[in-house]
Amino acid sequence: MVQRNPGLTIFCHIVLFLGAAAVCMPLYFAFVAGSLTTAEVQQTPFPWLPGAHFIDNIATAWNEEDFSRLYINSIIVTAGIVVGKIIISLIAAFAVTYFRFAFRMTAFWLIFISLMLPVEVRIIPTYEAVADAAGPVRWFASATGLSGLVESLTGYRLEAALQWNLVNTYGGLILPLIASASATFLFRQFFLTIPDELCEAARIDGAGPLKFFWDVLLPLSRANIAALSIILFLYGWNQYLWPLLFTTDKSMATVMLGLKNLIPVADAAPAWNIAMAGAFFVMLPPAAIILLMQRWFAKGLVDAGK
Amino acid sequence: MKILSKRAFKACAGGVAISLMTLQLGGTAFAQDKVSVEWWHAMSGRLGEIVDQLIADFNESQDQYEIVGVNKGSYAETFAAMIAAYRVGQHPTLVQATERSFLTMLYSDAVVPVGELMEQQGYEIDWDDFVGPVADFYIVDETPAALPFNSSTAILWYNVDHFRAAGFDKPAETWQELETQLYALKEQGVTDCSMALAGDFIWSMVEGYSAINDYPYATKANGYGGLDTEYIFNTTPVVGQVERMKKWVDDDVLQIAGQGLSPTQLYTSGDCSTYIASTASHAAVESGAEFDWGATFMPHEEDVAEPKNSNIGGAALWVLKGKSDEEQAAAAAFLDFIAKPETQAWWSGETGYVPVTNAAYELMQSQGFFDEHPTREIAILQLTRGEPTENSRGFRFGNSDQTFAVMNEELQAVWTGQKSVQEALDASVSRGNEILRAYETLHAGK
Amino acid sequence: MLASDAITNREDAATRPPTGFKAWTRRLVPVASDAGLKSAHFRKPGIAVWLLAPQLLILLFFFFIPSWKALSLAFVQVDPFGGTVLFVGLDNFTRLFASASYRSSAVLTFWFTIIQNVATLSIAGLLAFATDQVIRGRFVYKSVILLPYAIAPVISGVLWAFLFNPTVGPMAQFLHSLGLPWDPNRRPFDAQVLITVAAVWKHVCYDYIFMVAALLAVPQSLIEAAALDGARPVRRFFTVSLPIIAPTIFFLVVMNFTYGLFDTFAIIDAVTKGGPGGATNTLVYKVYQDGFVLLDLGSSAAQSIILMALAIVFTILQFRAIERKVNYQV
Repeated sequence: MVQRNPGLTIFCHIVLFLGAAAVCMPLYFAFVAGSLTTAEVQQTPFPWLPGAHFIDNIATAWNEEDFSRLYINSIIVTAGIVVGKIIISLIAAFAVTYFRFAFRMTAFWLIFISLMLPVEVRIIPTYEAVADAAGPVRWFASATGLSGLVESLTGYRLEAALQWNLVNTYGGLILPLIASASATFLFRQFFLTIPDELCEAARIDGAGPLKFFWDVLLPLSRANIAALSIILFLYGWNQYLWPLLFTTDKSMATVMLGLKNLIPVADAAPAWNIAMAGAFFVMLPPAAIILLMQRWFAKGLVDAGK
Repeated sequence: MKILSKRAFKACAGGVAISLMTLQLGGTAFAQDKVSVEWWHAMSGRLGEIVDQLIADFNESQDQYEIVGVNKGSYAETFAAMIAAYRVGQHPTLVQATERSFLTMLYSDAVVPVGELMEQQGYEIDWDDFVGPVADFYIVDETPAALPFNSSTAILWYNVDHFRAAGFDKPAETWQELETQLYALKEQGVTDCSMALAGDFIWSMVEGYSAINDYPYATKANGYGGLDTEYIFNTTPVVGQVERMKKWVDDDVLQIAGQGLSPTQLYTSGDCSTYIASTASHAAVESGAEFDWGATFMPHEEDVAEPKNSNIGGAALWVLKGKSDEEQAAAAAFLDFIAKPETQAWWSGETGYVPVTNAAYELMQSQGFFDEHPTREIAILQLTRGEPTENSRGFRFGNSDQTFAVMNEELQAVWTGQKSVQEALDASVSRGNEILRAYETLHAGK
Repeated sequence: MLASDAITNREDAATRPPTGFKAWTRRLVPVASDAGLKSAHFRKPGIAVWLLAPQLLILLFFFFIPSWKALSLAFVQVDPFGGTVLFVGLDNFTRLFASASYRSSAVLTFWFTIIQNVATLSIAGLLAFATDQVIRGRFVYKSVILLPYAIAPVISGVLWAFLFNPTVGPMAQFLHSLGLPWDPNRRPFDAQVLITVAAVWKHVCYDYIFMVAALLAVPQSLIEAAALDGARPVRRFFTVSLPIIAPTIFFLVVMNFTYGLFDTFAIIDAVTKGGPGGATNTLVYKVYQDGFVLLDLGSSAAQSIILMALAIVFTILQFRAIERKVNYQV
């Protein structure tokens, strides 16, 4: 066991305490605002201590929207984003770090470049992509004369058959958000640190690439997968603009839309206390994920792998 | 073993993924015999609840049509969502859009003018009954393009306690006298902040100021005479108005709210003695102000004997093209319901927006509403004051929200001291005119 | 299957001269074509293609095609409904380059991105180091530091604006009581400080969690060996742990960079709206504002192209400057 330095330990506790206090400061004021009445929240100076109405405001906020339904939708969508993105990123990163093939660097940069244009900037054409997901396929089919060929051979109209509208579906909420490189890049960086001996050892055991991936890489990636799950869960859970545009059916809305609906607009009574209280029960699932995923942060993984 | 289990896992995951992609958790069930149309709006919070009530009332009032209200976030978000959906033919039948997007909507080739629709569907709406500036704004070539829904105008809010403490009854009617009062409030130590302004102050303090005092804002009757209009507000008393504001800001008499929980908070907390904002702030003031509050007309220049009407703000309902006759009939029935004096009076009473027809106004008078809520009447009196002139009837500029953003940036540079008032207004005009020309080129011949 | 078919090694790869398309990609991409390839790797292109296919397909449909459509608007003026399209050549670009406010926005973005990146990384690094040192309360600290990351951005943006509002905000009152003339509505520098602090706050949890995960993966045996040699904890961190987690730090540098450059418009929108007088109007906020709110799609597309080009150049520079120094082999 490595000797610990008591002075350093105290210093570290102070740093962590200050850091925690600083990052939690806005959270605290959200709690204070969520515990006041609508009249109190408009007063100055703003109180430093909470009021007595937190539970009432939570109840008001919960009843204002159909939050139980929104919760189910949000959990499905967020889980889809987390699982989908981790799977496709893991295997893509595996491909670009452990295989030699002609377009390896091109593939990596193609994936990487998707970090360079945020969703909101291309939101209108992305809506088109989701509302008519088969559009590019139809275009390809007619541009290459494929659809004419199919129609003359079978009498089957390809254009009419290829309609795929993802608006108001979970797919429409999940797929466009999976299309990003951050997770692939993370796993690539991590795989590059894994000692070569592991791969060579697998070779000696006669293992193929998939077996190596499953038996060696995956267990080693546990802490990274856990960290990424937390990040992606929060990313998916906190999505606002995307679900707003891609759902028109209230039964497909997410909690973030419900929460935003609690936020007063310019001409309305500024019930910020309700919105802030609402923010707290909206925070529960991400907070639970943070606590749960901590279990996966355990030391000695690499040593165990060796 | 591991490979096998992996395959099983893969197959399972694939199955789940595919079913998720197309799955909808049993959507809202619609009554099949009713024609259902969507209305996308930007009303959330308490206003959203009132809108839901309005829709429920309509749906119960008849059994042929069903309106489905969908809140699409802010006005900007609603507009962008509508455009994205329109481009793939999945747009709603009805959409709420602000007065600033009027020309964009009008010349979009994507709307059915409401006047035409109502005539086709056999509804008679007395368009002459709409209050002057509202009708002037939305009627083009005698055809109403959209139905005004939530209309407002800026009024002057004040803290009665503060004014009494400084020895005044109420705010003065002219900017010059008001300035004396505001400085007195500050000097006597009644307040640290004599006036607060909401973030959209250009609407009230520049555009509204030009309308009320009958100063031209742009050539061609503020755009009513054609798309080749040019801004000229850098050559009018607007320069003096902004200079006065700059002086107030420098002397800490005026606070421009910036960002925060809500600009209205500066007033409702009792910090600021006066506040210039929309009449729709009634909802916030009535719920939040714990002092004796009052409201009055916007001030005017001392050499203007007869101030004109103020300008409107808010939003209107538009009917989009590409819908079946049945769907259009449903939209028309809903619009007819909204235009009814009873609906108007209820909506205005609940929200603080202005009743847009004279009939609704008279109904509210006869119900004694304004006796109980005298400040609610200020907006409509101010909107209908005098005979509208070319300078006061309204503003019709292409891409006017782009110019609005440019002016915001330029005027902020005045408050920070980076530009003089004249420089900033000159820059606003030249950049604004470029925006007008871009719009004109794109819509040549309309 | 013969193991030697599946696996090749470094010497073998180095002796093969690049030919044809590979040579072309090597010129296109400045990083050597073997960069980021494990020296012990597989040679089964067939499997690699299947592994890459899901990601590439999703990107094609939901990134490349929409982005292409968005960016192609850079050469036109267009009615947002798509009814009227007017080809204007490079007008959208020349207007941007002629605009003084666009140039000052570029300078602001440059400094904002760098300061935000360095500050986020240093704070997260310090916290992660401290977390790695303490034993008691580690779980609590980690949870509490990560918790604010869970608060919805639609709420946290508003909170930041409110807390530092010069008239009503509690934090502004605190600053005033220290004698500071804090007013982000009227003092451009204050506004710039505010968006930087808010952006760092928003992202520090992100860096923190990956650094903690990376430090956990540092083999205990190496640390113990260094301790036996008499290295103190801080020295161990810099000489043993830091080199091992360097790839993660490189990942974070790049991610902070793209975060600062691209993902900060929401917080700017909530906190300053780009003001006062354009003082916090970063390039991406302008893209968002012009494209999504003001619907000037042509100009927004031109700005996106410029922004993307800048980002790609910077990223390539980062790969050249940093990645070569990162030692991937433990």
